[in-house]
Formats: sequence, structure tokens, C-alpha cells
Amino acid sequence: MKEVKIVTKDLTLHYGQKMALNSINIQIPEKEVTAFIGPSGCGKSTFLRSLNRMNDLIPSVHIKGEILIDGLNIYEKKIDVVNLRKKIGMVFQKSNPFAKSIFENIAYGPRINGINDKKKLTEIVETSLKNAAIWDEVKDRLPDSALGLSGGQQQRLCIARTLAVQPEIILMDEPASALDPISTGKIEELIFELKKNYTIVIVTHNMQQAARVSDHTAFFYLGELIEYGKTRKIFTSPDIKQTEEYITGRFG
Amino acid sequence: MERHFELELQKLNKRVNKMGNLVAEQVHNAFDALLRGDTELARLIIEKDRKVDKLDNKIDKLCQSIFALAQPVATDLRLIMSSLKMNNDLERMGDHAVTIAQKIEGISDYPDILAELHMEEIVKMTDLIVNDVITILNTRNTAFVKDIFELALSINEKTHAVTARIIEEMMHKSEVIVVATNLIIVLTAIERLAGYSTNIAESIVFIVDGKIIKHKKKNFDNQEAAAESHIGQGDEPGLDQMLPPISEATPSEG
Repeated sequence: MKEVKIVTKDLTLHYGQKMALNSINIQIPEKEVTAFIGPSGCGKSTFLRSLNRMNDLIPSVHIKGEILIDGLNIYEKKIDVVNLRKKIGMVFQKSNPFAKSIFENIAYGPRINGINDKKKLTEIVETSLKNAAIWDEVKDRLPDSALGLSGGQQQRLCIARTLAVQPEIILMDEPASALDPISTGKIEELIFELKKNYTIVIVTHNMQQAARVSDHTAFFYLGELIEYGKTRKIFTSPDIKQTEEYITGRFG
Repeated sequence: MERHFELELQKLNKRVNKMGNLVAEQVHNAFDALLRGDTELARLIIEKDRKVDKLDNKIDKLCQSIFALAQPVATDLRLIMSSLKMNNDLERMGDHAVTIAQKIEGISDYPDILAELHMEEIVKMTDLIVNDVITILNTRNTAFVKDIFELALSINEKTHAVTARIIEEMMHKSEVIVVATNLIIVLTAIERLAGYSTNIAESIVFIVDGKIIKHKKKNFDNQEAAAESHIGQGDEPGLDQMLPPISEATPSEG
């Protein structure tokens, strides 16, 4: 296993009285893809959102335990959440480009981080779009509205937007579930390329997708981490019966 | 919740078991015909091989369609992968039964030769190993897999010894060359039958326990070497670590 990037220690999360995560302990390696799988309501998206403190926005959420990124507890008071989210980008199920030009969608993040030099911004936009494998499709229409792009292109644009602020970790919540198989394939290829430089954590309901793109797989059920291991192992001989039943569709 | 493709898996299991039973019967009859010099039974075995071939194709096609349509994982994946391999092994075993049947006529002119070479014991051991492995295939009980490996080793040693003796005879008596060649072909078929039996046993362990134990038999016949080679191999345990002791192993479901 490579260096560990994210560690959680006894992470427990409640929505009001309801426990959504029960004492999760996991070590997520750097520059690899880790997939979270499990049935709806198992806590995998809640857990993903905890990793860049997106749950802070929900008033009823109470968190116990620790999440350490590069050894630092991200729930410590001194942590600047804006900086944290710069370091940990997120891509959602539904692509959410700003109602701005393609160029401005990408330049937005760097600009609010103080980069105003046009040449520098152009460079960032080009690199980000290239790294998100969408440059060739949009290079001649950068001033056009991002809303005119197809769903698959919009999702890659959102990934490019995430890359523009140079994160270390990218969290993806069902990034391809609303896309056709060709766009899905492009996103999966992109994930494979991006892991050379980024730590990627992906939540997916599509188990074949988890099998295809991830190096490690974590199976969640009823707020518990049931099994975590190499994807190759989980999908050939999982150790836990519940994992076996879930991935083979015998669940329930 | 029963999955619709559960029926396909049941069908596959049923067909592989049927293939196993059919091949075990072919092998048993081939040995029976060999020991009794029964050329009529030999002819029937050769004829019946068509059934084995037909079933071989049916199993291949079923596996192919399950792979394509159901994208199996975990235990389902292991079952289908292993079914393909076992099907292949069983089909080859059927061919070896035919090889033995084809050589009976050339050997039956020398009625005492099998007894002189103590081949009856080898034949019975091989009949037993095939029968035992098919029982394991039907029951998925891996408790006796070690016995299969031991028996295969023993068969190997004995066939080698008898082959050496036959070659020795051939060097001195040119008149025995034809029957001796036929016997060597039969002994080779016997050795292969034992080999395929161990392959099938390995496949069943993979289905049931998810452990890959092939190419570990070297460790098996030399425990000390197994212990040494285990050091520093990370997650590559020796055969003894991989297989439960017979007393602890329990029959598996399905």
C-alpha cells in the first residue's frame, strides 16, 4: 500500500438522534482510487461528505471521532474550512456548472484565490481542461456558456473546475450515474489518469464501476464499515458474508 | 431474494455434475474393459465419448452466456471460472478413457501381462481417485482434497516405476515392443487422469474457499520445503495453511 492520505478513527456521525455512521476506522492510501459501495442509506455518501466537512452545513449533524488528512485532524477548531475544501475537491452526481462561460467556470476558483493575471489564468484553464480530458472538445468555444455542453462534458468540466484549484484529494459522489455509457467510460478513464496525481474517493452504486476504477473498496451497511480491502480481493473472494451477498446481488 | 440468474447457476452446477458422473463412468468402464480384455465394452466407451463432447459444448456455452449477461463476481465468478476449467479437464479425462479403450485390443492378446506388471493396483487407485474427485465435485466437500493429492502422487510414482520396467523389457525383447508401447500409452493416460483429478480438486477448493492452491503440490510432498519457501512470501501461504485439517473442514452448502 502507498502512503496513507486519510485516516479516520472511531468516526461516529448522528443526524439528530439517528446514527448514520458507527465508529468508522479506515486508512485511505494516497494517489489511489478508493470506492465506497453499499445500499442506499448505508452511510457511504455521509462518510464521503465528512471528509471535506460538507456535513458542517447540516445543523443536526454531530460528529465524534477523528478524520486525519496528512496527519492533521480536519475537525480541529484552527482548521480553515475554505482552505480544506481547496485541498479536497468534490464532484457531485449531477453536474453543476456555473451559468458562466466555459473559461469562467474554470477560472472562478483560481480567481477567488487571488490569481488575476490573465496569462496565468489562461494557462490554468488550459491545463485543467486538458487534465480533465475535455480540452479538445471545448478549446474553440471557451467563451460559450458551459450550460450548452452535454451532460458528460459538463461533468468533465466540473472535474476540470475542481482541478483548477490544485486539490490533493478528489471526492466523487456518483459522478457517472446520470451519464450514458460512453460518457461514463470517459469519466472512468479520466479517474484512472487522475489517480497518478490525486487521491480519489468515489461513491458509486454501480458495482462494476467500483470494480473497474478502484484499487480499494469499502463496503458500508447500516452505517458500519463491513469490509475494506483490495478491490481485486473484494470482488473475487470477500472475507465477510454480507459483502459477498451484496456484491452478488443476493442481499435482502 | 432469489436472483433470476440463480436458475442459470443451478443449471450449470447440474450440468457439470452430470459431466463428472458421465466421465467417471467412462473411466470406470475403460478400466473394467482393460482388466477383462473386453473389446465390446471398449467400443461402447469410444461411442459414448460423443455424449461427453456434446455436454462439453453445452457447458461452455452456458458459462459464456452467464459471463456476458450477468457479470458475475465473488462466489459466482469463482463458480463459473472453475466450471469452465473443470469442464475442460473432464472432457480431457473422457478422451483419456477413450485412449485406454482404443489400446485394449492390442493388449488383450497378452492376458497375463497386466497382472505381471501389477497394473491392477494402479488401475484401482486411479478408478478410486476419479470416483473420489467426482464425489467432491458433487458434494463440494473439500475435506478430502488432501487425500486426492496424496493418491495422485502415489499413482505417479507407481506409473513411473512400471513404465521404467516396461522400457527395460523393450530393450531386451523386441517382440514386446507393440504391446509395451500400448501399455505405456495406457500408463500415460492413467497418469493424466490422476493429474486432471487434482486439477478438479484445486478448482473445487477455489470455488468453496476462494483459495488458489495450484502449483503448491511441490510444497505438499515436502513439508520442510513448504515451510522454508513460505518465509518471506507475504500473502502466499503454503498448502497446509490453505487447507483445513480434515477434522475441521465442514461440508459446504450448495
